[in-house]
Amino acid sequence: MNIESGKTVIPTTFWNKIYNNNTKSIASKTIYILVLLFVTALFILPFLWLISASLKIRSEVFNFEWIPDPVAWINYAKVWEAVPLLTWAKNSVLVGFLAAIAVVVSCSLVAFGFSYFRFPGRDFLFGLVLGTMMLPGAVTLIPVYMVWDKLGQINSLTPLWAQNLFGSAFYIFLMRQFFLSLPRELFEAARVDGASYLQMWYKIALPLTQTAMIVVFIFEFKASWAELQKSLIYLQNNMLFTLPRGLKAILDRFGQGGEMQWEIVLAASVIVTIPMVILFFMGQRYFMEGISTTGRKG
Amino acid sequence: MLEGKKFNLFLKVGILLMLTSIIFTACAPTTVVETVEKVVEKEVIQTQIIEQIVEQEVVITATPSPVTGTLNVLGFTQGDEIAKVRVDTFIEKFPQVELVMTEGSLDAQQFLTAVASGNVPDLIYTNRDVLSTYATRGALLPLDDCVARQDIDMTQYRESAVKQVTVAGSLYGIPEFFNIITVLVNDKALADAGVAIEDIDTSDWDKIKEVNEKLTRMTDGKVTRIGFDPKLPEFLPLWVAANGGAMLSDDGRTALLDDPIVVEALEFAVALHEPAGGRQDFMAFRDTWDFFGSQNQFMSDQLGAFPMEQWYVNVLVGSSPDVELAVLPFLTREGEIITYATGNTWAIPRGSKNLDAACAFMKTVTSPEAWTAAAQTRADMRAEEGTTFTGVYTANKLADQIIFGEIMQPSGSEVFDAAVKVLVEVQDYAFSMPASPAGSEFKQAWQDAVNRVLAGEQTAAEALAQAQQEAQDALDKAWSR
Amino acid sequence: MSVLQNEIRPKKRISNLQKKETLAALGFISPWIIGFIVFTFGPMIASLYLSLTEYDILRPPLYVGLDNYAQLLKDPKIAKSLYNSFFYAILHVPLATIVALAMAVVLNNVPRRAAGFFRTAFYLPSITPSVAIGTLWLWLLNPRIGLINRGLEFIGINGPNWIADPNWVKPGIVLMSLWSVGGTIIIYLAALREVPKELYEASRIDGASNWKQFTKITLPMISGSIFFTLIVNTIGSLQIFSEVYTMYFGQMNASTGTDSALFFVIYLFRQAFEFLNMGYASAMAWVLFVIVMVLTVIQMAFSKRWVYYEGE
Repeated sequence: MNIESGKTVIPTTFWNKIYNNNTKSIASKTIYILVLLFVTALFILPFLWLISASLKIRSEVFNFEWIPDPVAWINYAKVWEAVPLLTWAKNSVLVGFLAAIAVVVSCSLVAFGFSYFRFPGRDFLFGLVLGTMMLPGAVTLIPVYMVWDKLGQINSLTPLWAQNLFGSAFYIFLMRQFFLSLPRELFEAARVDGASYLQMWYKIALPLTQTAMIVVFIFEFKASWAELQKSLIYLQNNMLFTLPRGLKAILDRFGQGGEMQWEIVLAASVIVTIPMVILFFMGQRYFMEGISTTGRKG
Repeated sequence: MLEGKKFNLFLKVGILLMLTSIIFTACAPTTVVETVEKVVEKEVIQTQIIEQIVEQEVVITATPSPVTGTLNVLGFTQGDEIAKVRVDTFIEKFPQVELVMTEGSLDAQQFLTAVASGNVPDLIYTNRDVLSTYATRGALLPLDDCVARQDIDMTQYRESAVKQVTVAGSLYGIPEFFNIITVLVNDKALADAGVAIEDIDTSDWDKIKEVNEKLTRMTDGKVTRIGFDPKLPEFLPLWVAANGGAMLSDDGRTALLDDPIVVEALEFAVALHEPAGGRQDFMAFRDTWDFFGSQNQFMSDQLGAFPMEQWYVNVLVGSSPDVELAVLPFLTREGEIITYATGNTWAIPRGSKNLDAACAFMKTVTSPEAWTAAAQTRADMRAEEGTTFTGVYTANKLADQIIFGEIMQPSGSEVFDAAVKVLVEVQDYAFSMPASPAGSEFKQAWQDAVNRVLAGEQTAAEALAQAQQEAQDALDKAWSR
Repeated sequence: MSVLQNEIRPKKRISNLQKKETLAALGFISPWIIGFIVFTFGPMIASLYLSLTEYDILRPPLYVGLDNYAQLLKDPKIAKSLYNSFFYAILHVPLATIVALAMAVVLNNVPRRAAGFFRTAFYLPSITPSVAIGTLWLWLLNPRIGLINRGLEFIGINGPNWIADPNWVKPGIVLMSLWSVGGTIIIYLAALREVPKELYEASRIDGASNWKQFTKITLPMISGSIFFTLIVNTIGSLQIFSEVYTMYFGQMNASTGTDSALFFVIYLFRQAFEFLNMGYASAMAWVLFVIVMVLTVIQMAFSKRWVYYEGE
């Protein structure tokens, strides 16, 4: 995999260079750190608010305190008791994983087809790919539903992920941008060595676009994790629900009928969000740190 | 290098998993196998049941066709005890029916895609507002046959609710809850501003204007207490009715939005925002209320009075049991009690595969028996918690008689006992928006008009003239097919 | 640059190679072609047909020719909602690009150990449920007690009414949207990681300043990703729906009304599923489709001038 192993290894990062630069004063470093912390605080705020509100008793959910007093852990217990959370989580993980893997593989194939090869009609076809992003989903909802109905997949998890087997415009476009940034010489060298097109994709293109693939995986897993519309129209059985679909059931149950138990709804929101935070934390470390071990970066 | 290899492995496992799952979905999905097994089991059970029934029928031959099979219900959530107890009543009465409930309130996309593709649920639960929209387009079944076969006494339901689910002379729904509006008054504010409770007289609009000014409190040029919140845009129909008018003709065909009575009502209600510094300041302040909390606008003395739905009394009982609250009926300018009723309904979509069960279900869960059992359960729960039971407001008169006559006991809280008394009394003076096939567009047209006036973009007359045009176009179009 | 271009081959072999390449390419993109035919082309044609009908979903469609399109021209809300959507897109797309790029550069320079924490923090809004975001932002934007106006007051500015003033509703929504640029940040971060470090090293030896390095190396090297996000964010911003629907039209709505938060796709959704005018909604969708298509073609044409691909 050390395709360009001849190149110099630069151990320092860009920041380290700036940091070591003598012209930078302590003051500017401090300002940098303060700004960074401030902006980060802004970004964390919604999540902290969510957690804080979910731990409040009903009459205090929308008050302005950041620290719940008293702390109502019971909200979480209530959600746990009220609904089959584990089953829903299992469905969500299954759907998310299949959706993400399917989209990574199919989009990588298709994007490679669009970026490496030159063939008549390529730009037109690629225009069509982009075009599919532009038609609002609301109007194709019913025709697509009918396709799945014909395939006998209503009230099953299949429609929630299987369309990803055929690629998805956003990710095809994203992967194509990454493939285009690879030096063409790499592939030509492999061709001279007698590699087939499939081998070129598998042995050269894939390892060099790991970052992109993990980005796609995380994006799609997240999208699938939050997806509500499909699970709303395709799933009828309680036990097939995904977490967002379950969250809607919880919202309808606790948010209406004069009960207005928003603290339960918010606790459920936290439960739904936490796994994504963990996944992202793990995933980003992998794709950010893992990259430095691939050949091109030394 | 190592990372790269790991990654390849990861990829291979992924592809393998994916292929496996495709094969599974395509050839022998486990879920299908399970379902088949379940169906087989079910059939065995059903055969046993049928045998039992056959045995029973030998004895009781008078029973009409037994209610069996699966009943798919869409839009209903068994969230609280009021829902659960009533569903249990049905299950007890008709144990042969297998209930399949898709949780969550009815979503238009969910229902419409299902109907468009022929996957119709057997029974739906939805807002009475949208019922006529679906009924006039042939998506729902008229219930005359069902009422006759299940022998449902329609006189037990409140008239205005029944009217809302009657489209072009045919009944399409069985009404459930009955939400009504009364005026909630903050006694603390009255004392502070030196206003007598008798002065909160909604029949005298000059007085309301005066009281609104008195109750409004400004501190450093900013409003810190709203005097009388007219609750626009949503309660415009109430103001119009109080002014002796209507926004839509009884047959649901003609919009009456540019009627001078409507214009006058809107002008009056909009003007109530002025003492607080106009709509924007008014809204900005209202959005800061701790509406569901213990520091709500009553406890924090941020509001004089406003018309509100009765469920908010339930909220107040829970969040601030010591609130100094008075509940008054909303009055017409003639001095008659009036209230605007909304609520949900049951309905059977065309294509329902189990009419008998659907019909029996509607009858059972809205029966006095089921309602009172549910209310009793809630009352017991409240007693156990040491909180106040403020009643269940149903569209079934008989049920309400029992709930408020027998189950409801004086709670010891003068404020809430008095409140409940008024709420019960007001129920008999309700009106509803007439059924029409363009209900949503109609509502949108007048709400937009109100908002344009509130934003200062148009006068009431201009805005309502435009809304009249939009609403009538929508109505004509919807009725024309 | 490429080996292929430099080689001189007999004509016949080129066409052979081209045939082979075309076949291979079609093989690679075949998953998409199949999916396109089954799940996209069919439904697209269906919606094009429906745009020529009066269709309420519950009854069979009734052919009405171009009536829906004629109606579009007369409907003042179409113009209003298009204006709203464009207003939003014009503010959102450049701002989101700049903010995300700045964040990505900052994040890229955070010492390694802490980077994971900061990256996760910046991505948090993107994974928080929209109900929670909508609720929170109604608080933040509240003109009296919201954090934003309090902050403005602190520096001596009397903040506007973000929720009720028709002129300030959309800028408020833009602020909220900038909160959720996490996805774009990630894309830029990934691209920044792909920039060969040798380039910086070489330019440092040449004595280039940081700013010069940024404009002469970083920007061109990640221009492909910037291009991608520009196109995708333009399309996305013209289709903005869920957060705004939650804030101004859903259960938690601020009921401020006025049409200032009525975006095109929100109006389309309401026409389709609340007013049951699916035919009309389909016509709206096709109008939007054509508009976005034209915009994208323009962006693509301009891209050739500033997007740099190593491979080409």
